[in-house]
Amino acid sequence: MKLLPMVILNGLFFMAPLFLLVGMSFSGDAGATTAHYARFFADPINVAVLRDTIYLGVKVIVFTTLVGYPVALLFMLLGPTGRRILLFCTVLPMLTSNVVRTLAWIAILGREGVVNNTLVGLGLTSTPLQFMYNELGLIIALSQIELPLLVLPLVSVLAKIDRSLWEASTSLGMNAWQTFVRIILPLSVPGLIAGWVLVFASACMNFVTQAVIGGARLIYLPQFIYQEVNTLYDWPFAAAIAIVMLTTIGIVLGALTAVGRNRRINVYA
Amino acid sequence: MAGMEMNRRDLIRFGLLAGAGTLVAPTLLRATRAHAASEVVAAVFPGAWEDMFQSVVGPALSEASGNELVLSPALASDQLGKMMASPSSPPYDALLMSPGQSAIAIENNLIEKVDPSLISNWANLSDPSFQNEWGPAITVQLDGLAYNPEKVRKPKGYGDLFSPDFYGKVAFTGFKSNSAVMAWIQTAKAFGGSEQNLDPLWPKLKEYLPHVGAIANDMNHQQSLFQQGEIDVMIASTGNVARLKGLGVPIEFVVPEEGAPATPVNIHVAKGTKDPKAVHAYIDAVLSAKVQEALQGAPLENFPTNKTVPLTPAVAAYMSREQLATFVYLDWNNINARRGEWTSKFDEVVRQ
Repeated sequence: MKLLPMVILNGLFFMAPLFLLVGMSFSGDAGATTAHYARFFADPINVAVLRDTIYLGVKVIVFTTLVGYPVALLFMLLGPTGRRILLFCTVLPMLTSNVVRTLAWIAILGREGVVNNTLVGLGLTSTPLQFMYNELGLIIALSQIELPLLVLPLVSVLAKIDRSLWEASTSLGMNAWQTFVRIILPLSVPGLIAGWVLVFASACMNFVTQAVIGGARLIYLPQFIYQEVNTLYDWPFAAAIAIVMLTTIGIVLGALTAVGRNRRINVYA
Repeated sequence: MAGMEMNRRDLIRFGLLAGAGTLVAPTLLRATRAHAASEVVAAVFPGAWEDMFQSVVGPALSEASGNELVLSPALASDQLGKMMASPSSPPYDALLMSPGQSAIAIENNLIEKVDPSLISNWANLSDPSFQNEWGPAITVQLDGLAYNPEKVRKPKGYGDLFSPDFYGKVAFTGFKSNSAVMAWIQTAKAFGGSEQNLDPLWPKLKEYLPHVGAIANDMNHQQSLFQQGEIDVMIASTGNVARLKGLGVPIEFVVPEEGAPATPVNIHVAKGTKDPKAVHAYIDAVLSAKVQEALQGAPLENFPTNKTVPLTPAVAAYMSREQLATFVYLDWNNINARRGEWTSKFDEVVRQ
């Protein structure tokens, strides 16, 4: 009974719309049909867009890990005040909307932006470099935007690691690098996977940043869905694309979660 | 303070009630107001249109009929999307659209024919085509090209955009906006295509892509790029140029040699509106000489469809009433039938 309100809320506001979406994706003029799915997979461009969307999520995971892991390690090494400051700085961007953060990246990466003005000012390039409307710029922006989603779960796991393990490792003759690779990294995997799940899902579905920073030449599934809904008004096809996207991302997330729950990896399970 | 404490069950109950209230209240409020027959919820394009309608049309409607105007800013595509999502309980009483979306609204039974006898300014419409049975044209937007005279030479037409003179300085955009669709049709004509056949366009576009300044997400994005100095040539309507000029951007409008497409902007009565008479009063107010004259002002610079209103020099610089017949009017039923195919092809060509 305690779960009833949650079940009702989820049923009304999540499951019911989801079922409607699934129903719409099978609707046709002459009754139920799988034609929309067949149409999606028959066009190699659609499949390539699906593949690109998944690749984008993977690339953002790699970038956020490269940047976020050192931040989380720093958190582990700092004292209470330092940790509070670092945590505040990590969470701070989440207090502004995704749209604002995306627009801020235009001011940073644009032709007249901070990066290009600095590069030109230092004489490193004579003409502004193209950071906007390409994959590099998009991955940089998405990585910053999604960074807290990786750092926060990672920090919560790293904070649980007993510092005496580090000391024991050192006293047994391991150097800092060996301690990191053989002790810290394996113990942090559950936090890492939890962060990857959040970053992957969010990066793949981040319509605003994909559209604004990526531009019209980088096409991902969210833009595809929007186009079908608001320009071509083919809602059953849009619903089919949405279900394909949801299923594919769900499979990747399911696989990541399954790895995270493995007892050989997750010592906290 | 013990009496003030809430247990978890109370909190959930309160939350559910508050949530339901939030969902239901706007509908109830709207129904109550509509019943008073004094409120017209009108969709209007965001930005300058919304501002001008707020300051000019609202007071005019209130003065003429006592009705209150509630503006809901939305692009035509968004208006259509919301209407399609809720046809039995329309979110608007009046819609503001161009023929591309109007055709879909008619096809989906979302709008009603107007009753000219309720619109006193109906007879003042300067062209029979403006007296559309599905809703009168309140202005005509002329589409063409825009360029920065301080940075590039004046482009001659759509085909000329592919000239090496404009390498890295032109932005294109896809088939989302009506202006872009018309521009692509005219460009295809420049390369031997037609309104039905854009095939000659695709190889030219693919070849030109390494030299393109930007592929913008939409017309607004394209204008932002122009304003930021990232591009110097783009397709634009007279309204777009007037707006940027108003912001101090060096920009000039060009009527392309292939012909300038013109699109009327119409007001429609949403099917299922509670008070059609009030919506007709709103349409009448927009067509009135006083409002049409005011809408000619910057930054909108709307072409007045009311023949009793003399054109201001700024509007006359774009087009005169005599020129109206010389512009290109495209078949939107044909466009809507092919738009999906063209959109896919465009995405395929420009995709990195």
